[in-house]
Amino acid sequence: MAVLNRMDWYDLARSTNWTPKYVTEDELFPPALSGEFGLPLSAWEHYDEPYKQTYPEYVKVQREKDAGAYSVKAALERSRIFENADPGWKSVMKAHYGAIARGEYAAASAEARMMRFSKAPGMRNMATLGCMDEIRHGQMQLYFPHEHVSKDRQMDWAFKAYDTNEWAMIAARHFFDDIMMTRDAISVSIMLTFSFETGFTNMQFLGLAADAAEAGDHTFANLISSIQTDESRHAQIGGPALKVLIENGHKAEAQKRVDIAVWGAWKLFSVLTGPIMDYYTPLEHRKQSFKEFMEEWIVAQFERALTDMGLDLPWYWDIFLKDISQTHHGMHLGSYFWRPTLWWNPAAGVTPDERAWLEEKYPGWNDTWGQCWDVFIDNVVDGNMAMTYPETLPYVCNMCQLPILGVPGKGWDVKDYPLEYNGRLYHFGSEVDRWVFQQEPERYAGHLSIVDRFLAGMIQPMDLGGALQYMGLAPGEIGDDAHNYAWAEVYRALRETRKAS
Amino acid sequence: MALFPLTSNFEGDFVLQLVPVDTEHTMDEVAAAAAVHSVGRRVRDRPGHILRVRRHGGTEFLPRTMKVAEAGFKPTETVDIIWQAA
Repeated sequence: MAVLNRMDWYDLARSTNWTPKYVTEDELFPPALSGEFGLPLSAWEHYDEPYKQTYPEYVKVQREKDAGAYSVKAALERSRIFENADPGWKSVMKAHYGAIARGEYAAASAEARMMRFSKAPGMRNMATLGCMDEIRHGQMQLYFPHEHVSKDRQMDWAFKAYDTNEWAMIAARHFFDDIMMTRDAISVSIMLTFSFETGFTNMQFLGLAADAAEAGDHTFANLISSIQTDESRHAQIGGPALKVLIENGHKAEAQKRVDIAVWGAWKLFSVLTGPIMDYYTPLEHRKQSFKEFMEEWIVAQFERALTDMGLDLPWYWDIFLKDISQTHHGMHLGSYFWRPTLWWNPAAGVTPDERAWLEEKYPGWNDTWGQCWDVFIDNVVDGNMAMTYPETLPYVCNMCQLPILGVPGKGWDVKDYPLEYNGRLYHFGSEVDRWVFQQEPERYAGHLSIVDRFLAGMIQPMDLGGALQYMGLAPGEIGDDAHNYAWAEVYRALRETRKAS
Repeated sequence: MALFPLTSNFEGDFVLQLVPVDTEHTMDEVAAAAAVHSVGRRVRDRPGHILRVRRHGGTEFLPRTMKVAEAGFKPTETVDIIWQAA
């Protein structure tokens, strides 16, 4: 029997909407779960996914992808890449697995909401495949790090990070709970797939794949490239939904969802990806600075995607363009200074050569961020290690849950964006974070940041030991300098030379 | 006498920090408490300077002997800690 070409039957086969007789449309598709846009089933039948794939095609392709990634892992298992890798690279892996792996399973749940509750048949089909993608990503990113758990206790955080109150995980959960776990199907398609995945997952996975290959870690490079091919498909779920909303007079609601999700994604990547690209990756393996990568892969690509869609650039675009030269330097300095609260060992990345690179990529770095590092480096060289650690908490933003920071040194520019709401004083790291809160205050008002929890007496005893216990960081897991401060030797030598002359 | 949380925005530093003070502390004592977490850690000391306190984003320094209880701060309010030539 002749088999029809896919496009001869695809549209018909996935047109699975029908007119319900025994329940109302709202009972079948409750607005809270399907999207409160007041659009009937018929409007969503115009949803046209750009990437069409059938289930048999999906299974065939995914099987090949899995075979590729797993066979590379099997072939390289005895290669001792992990044992011989630069400690900075190990930190990249630990940060990535902890922050991402379990979130993939959560994303499967969000895809499942679109799969069941979207009124658009095409979205339901794509989200079915997307849901299986996310399960695959969760499985792989838990299986791949497992071989390293016996070698390094911090690798256990690939499995446990999401169950802890570690500060970066509170930030990650707050963001993902907002954009994918507590939103209707259509909002998930806009906020998770269009805003987060199209824009930012590309960067985490493309950038890291390149860095991994450079670092000689072909297992990791293959793993994340394999994942990225899925992302680039299911990230396209949101685009056609935006088109339907805009065509039906809902541009403002669509735009607001994009604006909220893009900002949150940016803040998360400024702490996760920025330090990795500009500080942890060994200098000789760096391809682009974080800013250059952002400009090429996010700014240009996203501006085009938004314009093509008929949306505007987010109102804060100028703030965002300024921030991509600044925020991640603060996130690095902050996470490094508070390093006992990390589940990985951050690389300082501030040798004279690395600083020259930073100054070239970010003119003025030495007069700003470098000023703080100068004091830090002097303390390390002097053996005054107590002063290289914190004795209090950084104040964190009540939206992104990350430290409120700005430019230090000669260009000092650090601002708080406070807001009093129902008698409680909230603090935000930017005008945008505060704006997000103001869009729907009751959605966010009850959340307690790590600082709020400390002040409420939920962290006992009220010192670093109590905080580490609260965060689930056991001895042997808490972070310290990736290279055990060996990088400071060059400064010690420079000082000796200066003394001698 | 009561513990009172403030948020320090220290000139030259890069991050806001939680600083517990006492309602009976003067502004000079608030500045000193904030300095513990910045000076010598990420900000160099400036000999010949004292530290002054102002409301965040304000232009006027609060009197050096003013007590926290008299300043009318809200708990966790941000204050700028600024170097001033002595």
